[in-house]
Amino acid sequence: MLDAIDRDLLKAVADLEGIPKGAYNIRKNGQLLGREVSANITIETNEAGNGIVVRIKPGTLNESVHIPVIVSQAGLHDVVYNTFIIGEASDVTIVAGCGIHCGSAKSQGHEGIHEFKIEKGARVKYVEKHVALGEGKGKRALNPTTKVFLAQDAYAEMELSQLGGVDAADRTNTAELSAGSSLLITERVMTDGAQTAISRNEIILAGENSKANMISRSVIRGNSKQDFYATMDARAKCFGHIECDAILMGNGSNETVPSLKARHPDAELTHEASIGKIADEQLMKLMSLGLTYDEAVNRIIQGFLK
Amino acid sequence: MLKIKDIVFSVPDLDASEKGAQKSIINRVSYTFEAGKFYAITGPNGSGKTTLAKLIMGIYPVTSGSIFLKGTDITHLGITERARAGIAYSFQHPARFKGTTFRDLLSIAAGTEDEDALAKIVARVGICSLDFLDKPVDSRLSGGEIKKVELATTIARNPKVAIYDEPDTGIDLWTIDPMVRLLKREQETHGTTTIVVSHNRAFLAAADTLLLIRSGRIAYAGDLDGASALLEDLSACGYGDICEGENNVRCYR
Repeated sequence: MLDAIDRDLLKAVADLEGIPKGAYNIRKNGQLLGREVSANITIETNEAGNGIVVRIKPGTLNESVHIPVIVSQAGLHDVVYNTFIIGEASDVTIVAGCGIHCGSAKSQGHEGIHEFKIEKGARVKYVEKHVALGEGKGKRALNPTTKVFLAQDAYAEMELSQLGGVDAADRTNTAELSAGSSLLITERVMTDGAQTAISRNEIILAGENSKANMISRSVIRGNSKQDFYATMDARAKCFGHIECDAILMGNGSNETVPSLKARHPDAELTHEASIGKIADEQLMKLMSLGLTYDEAVNRIIQGFLK
Repeated sequence: MLKIKDIVFSVPDLDASEKGAQKSIINRVSYTFEAGKFYAITGPNGSGKTTLAKLIMGIYPVTSGSIFLKGTDITHLGITERARAGIAYSFQHPARFKGTTFRDLLSIAAGTEDEDALAKIVARVGICSLDFLDKPVDSRLSGGEIKKVELATTIARNPKVAIYDEPDTGIDLWTIDPMVRLLKREQETHGTTTIVVSHNRAFLAAADTLLLIRSGRIAYAGDLDGASALLEDLSACGYGDICEGENNVRCYR
């Protein structure tokens, strides 16, 4: 059953008020808390026993899978390997996320390794939220990895966010795109205090007319530090774009390194990157609409991370 | 309604040989803007028009002098307090935001998120459509579109004093007259004291009073006809003092 802490975490990472409808797999403190499958979606424990395999039948439309993870046990570092096989011509939403509740001085963490095989013509929206709550002083660490393989004409949209409480994050995203496939990644990260977050991204545009767009929005408060690395490696006639913006508040620091590699004469690759404080002109505009300085800062950050 | 008294705005003079020298962008300007009237501020580039407008909004602090709104001294109030006191400002180069939509800005300006209320404001402004509401106010908006957003957020404040800094920048030729009519309508139906900084004759002709700013001072205040001679004079080259004649290769005129 879900206790009050579990409910808070589920609400924060998956917008769930309780047990979700449809297919789901809830993992709590390294153990299975609950699982439900549907006619088109199966969830099985993998052979190694350290994760799950989610299979979506070809042609499945408008269904969703929730696979939240809760870590509330002091000192636990949970590692999980999940595989998603999205059948041909299906269109589904996968909601993942990890919520840590830290109530002690011991460190807690989660490493989720998610591998996606998105078959021909399939579309998937993947939403992943990471949060850490609790009064404990223990370090909360989240090191997620996503590996995405897009078959011909497949489409994936990935929304990855980490908006508070995580002390250390080291994320790796890799993707390989076949002909005609598209990938949109939007990553939003906010850090504060002495937190650190690193995001490493390697996108290979292997197939003709593949398209990838990587958007990163970082807000760096306090003395926190965020680093962003992204590489688009074009091996065919394709289109790739990286857009990374970081807002520095307080004494934080940021390193942003977008990298474009064109290995084909018809590759089109672009990037835009910015690091800086909130622009004065934005603050003045909102203050001229009656907001105070602090209210204006909040509205700008809210919009930026929306 | 709005009274400026002996206002001066000085900045460090970087060209001066002596250290710490100041130059005045606005030099002892006094004027009273009457309630519900339409004013156009014009003058050559660099004469201080925008600076004067920004001093009124509190975007720049005055070096000396005073500003009164309906008799209350607002000289030392910040932008927020002046906005709340009833002054609204339309920027010449509006800010662009990543992730913030026109709806967000309009809701802040109007103080409501109510769909009907926002639709009413959009209809009242009349120069942008409802489907504009969910567009992000970012670099994808054209120069003209963002100026329309700027205008709408200013009108949504229902201000006592509305200041528009070159509202026609980037606006197509066919939208300028509707824009002039809109500002006149706002002036007439809501009694808005309207101050437009512009070079455009359409705004100058619409104004009850024209203020001509030259070298940080008001060189003329009155109707457009009375200003004709001065405006003609300004259309000639302003570099007469240092002119080396038409053989000067650096002269672009």
